Amino acid sequence: MAADAIISCHAVAKSYWRGTLEIPVLQGLDLEIPRGGYYALMGPSGSGKTTLLNLIAGIDRPTGGTLEVCGYELNDLDDDQLAGWRSQHVGFIFQNYNLVPVLNAFENVELPLLLTGLSRRERREKVLEALALVNLTDRMENYPRQLSGGQEQRVAIARAIVTDPDLLVADEPTGALDAKNAEEVMALLERLNAELGKTILMVTHDPKAAHHARIQIHLEKGVLDRTVEVNR
Amino acid sequence: MVWFLFLPLLPYLAWLVWAALRHPIPLSYNWRSLWQRKVSTLSTAGAIAVVVAIFVVVLSLSQGISKAFVSSGRPDQIVVLRPNARVELNSSLERDRARILKTNPFLARDAEGPLASGECVVVKMLELADGTGSTNVAFRGLEPAGVRMRTQVQLIQGRWFKAGLPELVVPRKMVGRFANLGVGKSIFFSGQPWAIVGVFDGGGSAFDSEVWTDVEMLMQAHRRTSYSSMLVRLSSAGKIPSFVKYLDEDKRLKLEGKPEAEYYAQQTEAGKPIQILGNLITIILTVGAIFAAMNTMFAAVASRTAEIGTLRALGYRRVEILASFQWEALMLCALGGLLGAGMALWFNGIQTGTTNFETFSDVSFAFTITPNLMGQGVAFSVLMGVLGGFFPAWRASRIPVTEAMKGG
Repeated sequence: MAADAIISCHAVAKSYWRGTLEIPVLQGLDLEIPRGGYYALMGPSGSGKTTLLNLIAGIDRPTGGTLEVCGYELNDLDDDQLAGWRSQHVGFIFQNYNLVPVLNAFENVELPLLLTGLSRRERREKVLEALALVNLTDRMENYPRQLSGGQEQRVAIARAIVTDPDLLVADEPTGALDAKNAEEVMALLERLNAELGKTILMVTHDPKAAHHARIQIHLEKGVLDRTVEVNR
Repeated sequence: MVWFLFLPLLPYLAWLVWAALRHPIPLSYNWRSLWQRKVSTLSTAGAIAVVVAIFVVVLSLSQGISKAFVSSGRPDQIVVLRPNARVELNSSLERDRARILKTNPFLARDAEGPLASGECVVVKMLELADGTGSTNVAFRGLEPAGVRMRTQVQLIQGRWFKAGLPELVVPRKMVGRFANLGVGKSIFFSGQPWAIVGVFDGGGSAFDSEVWTDVEMLMQAHRRTSYSSMLVRLSSAGKIPSFVKYLDEDKRLKLEGKPEAEYYAQQTEAGKPIQILGNLITIILTVGAIFAAMNTMFAAVASRTAEIGTLRALGYRRVEILASFQWEALMLCALGGLLGAGMALWFNGIQTGTTNFETFSDVSFAFTITPNLMGQGVAFSVLMGVLGGFFPAWRASRIPVTEAMKGG
């Protein structure tokens, strides 16, 4: 693993089983992503990009190979350790925002902090800081149903960064947004990468979104097809 | 009783509290989630409320009957019966034996003489006030000492019956329940009208279910030559064992003495059949309510798998998801429990009666819904929450994160 790599995959394989039929999704994939990188995972449906993202984010386990992320060998962690690791090192951004509908924006952003030992006051400070970063302080009392899609995704981003994780993983973060909101969200992610040094790994179909990344990784049938540096 | 059922669940409940304090998925999340599905929440809470209300009322009924009998006895009084007669109705005690007993030096005395009362108990049918038919009622004939010895009984209207006259005094609890019971009214039996001259309050004892009259009048009316029993008060409760021995061993007597408190406590069995029926109904409804709670919680888990996935992705562990959904089930059931305990209050103070299967006569009592009974009702609902919520909560905690993220 390179000294500055935050993600290191060696011969990572993942198969699903349908009865006795093995369906390989990832087939011995090697990949290294340096700290502070902004990578877009691209490829056709079924190419394994979301599976790879899930493995790197520690919400799924490989059937072969090794994964080292944020300094931890993920294969060595049990379920609870993996949950603890995610809460400290990974921020999630989902296509459908995945905000909890019965909690307001403030409470949604606060959710990951409840797993820390922070006091109520410290949590409040961090939540306000995160909401300010996504420019939604004035909407913190609003419930998800009272927010636009773009605002919901910004709340989700605030939730992803509130614990100050090393790595942000985003699965089609603009998939449910119109062009204007998608552009705003991408600009925000770019800022988080450029100004706060967050490593971002994003799965996307959208070439415009992918253009915001610095490197595009193309997968094809579970193997690395090519890596493209984005020229801006 | 309910508190006892909690014992095996204590470690689990303690863990739930600990889990809620340690890494709380906010309880407000669960409370608000319940109201996301108002109809199913309210219908489940309603079903649980009905079960809890029945549970509390059955407990109240059982306690009401027990109280009626337990509060009837004094520790220094003995009911003297024919040997092996379980109740006064099956007993007879000749006048000459009664006379011997009254001279016993162990007996307590007051200004009017020894505290001993030869008594006659018969059962008569009386018409119910609601017109639904008639039921057996115990009539007790007493000597004047018998009235003085029942210190819990207070005359609240009219006067006591006079010796040698066909007069009755009736308990307040029976006045509303039976037709023609009240001062100034009369009932007809044994060929003559019997005037009701007074109303007494039996203080929640078994005497609240008896009509009282002069013992000689009642015996004449029924052509009885012997008493049913005799109630005697001893100069101290400590003399009871030797007095009982004396009754058994004296060849002139050969009688059986039962401490009054024990005699009436034994009759709490009277409420058993209705209590068993009530418990049976409660058990059947409880099983239904547990399944209703389980069904609601399984539906909640199914509709929120994406949320569960999100929480798991954010770093919440399986046990925290388990605790969170278990808390939600507890809230749902406790809500039903509170509603049910409130519903049970409607029964508070209602006068009713059941049959004493020892004497086949009516036992009058009032439903008393105490805070303790209501607390037991809510605790019972919490038990339902634990049982009904566990499997859905377990299921929620076991969904693989990636599967949950896709919404199940």
